Amino acid sequence: MINKKNIGPLTENTTRVILESISDGVFTIDYNWEITSFNRAAEEITGISRKDAIGRHCWEVFRSNMCEQDCALKRTMEEGKPFINSSGYIINSEKKKIPITASTSLLIDKNADVIGGIETFRDHSLVEQLRKELSTKFKVEDIISNSDAMKNIFTILPQVSDSDSSVLIEGETGTGKELLARAIHNMSHRKKNPFIAINCGALPDTLLESELFGYKKGAFTNAMKDKPGQFALADGGTIFLDEIGDTSPAFQVSLLRVLQEHEFTPLGALRQEKTNIRIIAATNKNLADLLSQNLFRQDLYYRINVIRLSLPPLRHRMEDIPLLVDQFIRKMNARQGKFIQGIDKKVLRAFMSHEFPGNIRELENIIEHAFVLCSEGYIKLNHLPGFLSLASNISEDKDNDPVKSAQIKLITDALARNNYNRSAAAKDLGIHKSTLFRRIKKLGMIL
Amino acid sequence: MKLAITIWGNRISPVFDAAGTLLVVQIQNRVIVKKSYTSFDPKKPADLIKTLEKMEIPVLICGAISTKPADLIVENNIKLISFVTGNALKLIDNFARKQTIEKTFMMPGCSKQYCWRHKPKNLHL
Repeated sequence: MINKKNIGPLTENTTRVILESISDGVFTIDYNWEITSFNRAAEEITGISRKDAIGRHCWEVFRSNMCEQDCALKRTMEEGKPFINSSGYIINSEKKKIPITASTSLLIDKNADVIGGIETFRDHSLVEQLRKELSTKFKVEDIISNSDAMKNIFTILPQVSDSDSSVLIEGETGTGKELLARAIHNMSHRKKNPFIAINCGALPDTLLESELFGYKKGAFTNAMKDKPGQFALADGGTIFLDEIGDTSPAFQVSLLRVLQEHEFTPLGALRQEKTNIRIIAATNKNLADLLSQNLFRQDLYYRINVIRLSLPPLRHRMEDIPLLVDQFIRKMNARQGKFIQGIDKKVLRAFMSHEFPGNIRELENIIEHAFVLCSEGYIKLNHLPGFLSLASNISEDKDNDPVKSAQIKLITDALARNNYNRSAAAKDLGIHKSTLFRRIKKLGMIL
Repeated sequence: MKLAITIWGNRISPVFDAAGTLLVVQIQNRVIVKKSYTSFDPKKPADLIKTLEKMEIPVLICGAISTKPADLIVENNIKLISFVTGNALKLIDNFARKQTIEKTFMMPGCSKQYCWRHKPKNLHL
């Protein structure tokens, strides 16, 4: 039973014990803005000991972005009322920015006289960290996504990586097929062995065969010495064959043999060589269509189509754009030593209304383009390539004024047809160059 | 020599990352001979670095500063004296006469070794 006689105003000692036991930082100041008390949590969050803090001006210890611009304690002292949960950050003794929320009120003694102010602040680093971790939950290796289609792939990726079966990755150009193949390799037991990517569409048949299978000295006129092929070099690792749909029927036969027998014959060799590789093939074409046209061998199709992963185009996973933009900005900031903080809302709107036929690669190139024109701060519309800033002009205006919108579209289309040459576009529209310039200015188009 | 200080009224701005005004002073024979003020955007440290380079200012004195801009400033061969506090003019006067920053002008929890940063072979005061 609690003895009710013991319940009453808190003693100074009890208050001290409570202040020392809570996890929120608390400090008090007098009318000279000098710190008069500083609890244990305040020491921990700021990295400054109580001994060093007491007697110092609060801004020398607290070091918040609010001190100079919007000090809640100052407002409390001036207006006599408390302020709850003002957000900001402090810089601790290790030069780290610590996100905080702060609440302030007047400090009143037992005679009800105001003797200063009190500030309590809460460290939000953990919340921030959890927020970041939550966003990285949708990240596998270098692939980041929040879309359901990609999350399904992420879920099965560990099992796919564990197996040695061939994988077929389908997806439009720029959707990240090679990145996915690399992720599978890096998560597999083969990760310490080579990952070799070959673009089958870029090489003619004979070159592709000598590249993959290698050749022996004297196999052809310029074969001065033995050259091992990629199948030999990648032994124990993974070979990524991009654009497999572009290979000839003859090459498909040779490839089928490697897949079936795990053997290959270098050009000019008399004996077959064994190989231990995993094959990941990719295509931006519909292999089933190629089968029906007899352009792709059925037996090879079934050999490589053991596990099929289909990467959605970016226009089907638009929710990933902010994540991808953040990732590219972080990467390019680090690579170029810049300090770009993000993208303007209008830029995001322009991105969301763009189709991205070139998919993620196109988005990355757009960000790279913006990095050339934007030195710091936020990427704005005028930092984007012309076709995007023009398109955003249309989308912004189309709801307001259909005539204006039609005029912008006419000019935009003419410019696009004429490779953004304004003189040629004016000629195309049947108007004088200066008239076009005047209209562009009048319509407020950003070129 | 020339140096720049981030200020807030007549004080050194407590946080570089939220400061907005720069006081530029020229010191000759241990006396301040010229003062001027300019504004800057702390979110664009590279612009500030360009301004300092253009004005041939090799030293920046400021209050608390976070790692990112601090590293960028030091990387660009500017001597950074951070976590400094107090009245800006008193500090400069003291600095001009004694060529060092006394402990009373340093924020709590700061050592000279930690708060004075520059690239090797940079200017020595």
